[in-house]
Amino acid sequence: MIPVIGLAVGIIAGLVFQPTVPTDLQPYLPIAIVAALDAVIGALRALGERRFNDRVFVVSFISNVVIAAFMVYLGDQLGVGSQLSTGVVVVLGIRIFANAAAIRRRIFHA
Amino acid sequence: MMAAPEPPEQVDGLLEKIADTALDDDYYVVRAGPHEQSRAFNTVLTGLVLAVFALLVAIAVIQTRSDRPATERERTTLINDIDSRKSTLAARESTADRLREQVADLQASVVGFDAAYEELRLLASDRGAAGPGLRVRTSPGQVLGSDITDRDLQTLVNGFWYAGAEAIAINGKRIGPLTSIRQAGGIIKVNYQSIGSPFEIVVLGDSEALEDRFAQTAVGRDWLERRKNAEVRFDMTRSDDLTVEAAPKDRLTIKHATAIEGDS
Repeated sequence: MIPVIGLAVGIIAGLVFQPTVPTDLQPYLPIAIVAALDAVIGALRALGERRFNDRVFVVSFISNVVIAAFMVYLGDQLGVGSQLSTGVVVVLGIRIFANAAAIRRRIFHA
Repeated sequence: MMAAPEPPEQVDGLLEKIADTALDDDYYVVRAGPHEQSRAFNTVLTGLVLAVFALLVAIAVIQTRSDRPATERERTTLINDIDSRKSTLAARESTADRLREQVADLQASVVGFDAAYEELRLLASDRGAAGPGLRVRTSPGQVLGSDITDRDLQTLVNGFWYAGAEAIAINGKRIGPLTSIRQAGGIIKVNYQSIGSPFEIVVLGDSEALEDRFAQTAVGRDWLERRKNAEVRFDMTRSDDLTVEAAPKDRLTIKHATAIEGDS
């Protein structure tokens, strides 16, 4: 129940306060979201496999977001920002798909 | 998922490894740990993280939404810009085409018409000329000393040049810069072409001034004297509509002299 409430609170807070992201941080937001999505999907899979651990979830979430944002930042500093972003998205995308496939297998047995 | 005995490094490729280890190892590790940890999903921590996640997504969505009109506007502006530039380009191209045609037309009309060049040709007797002037008819008389020699014609022509003639022809033979008037075997030749009596000299110029000034020159006085005394026929008539032909090409061709470089 609490996680669902958390989701709702996050969405409502975003809609109500409509915080603007500082221009300097804007390039990192999409990558951070993809990284966060990876952590969330992983958590869902772990939940399905009865391995879920909220501490692991929190740590993986934060580390994913921070590392992804850091890699994009580093790429920007090195002049290969878009390439590195693509690399991060590819890796995270594969993880997301793999985890989603595992969830699908568990639910539908297929 | 990897088989247990295999070392983790022995997977086929990076992408497969990523796919195989999609779920964080920690989820497995903790389970094996001695201190049992919370497996509960329904915790405040999870809710907090999910709230942050939802917030991130909401922010991103809102940001993208609010950025869209600006992007759209930029796009429309760019499209309009491109369209206007395209039309400008088309207009300029058509202008260029038109001007090119004009240039071609002008070039076509300019071939054979360079005013200075044509004037020089006229001056060099490379062109036929028409205009007012004098028509002079002369023929030798019967008495001794009244014949007309090449020398007489030379002085006559020089007299008319002196009087202000602009173009002269004797019996249709135009006097050009290289023209000679000489006698060979009793026959007078102008431009190496034989002419005979009576001689008709066409002189272009201001007819009145020509006549007056010619009469004042020594040559003119001499000829008028000869007309009186030696019965040499010599009469001048003014005309407004005289023509002279161009000098023959071979009397206009420079074979040895060349222009001095840089002297214009």
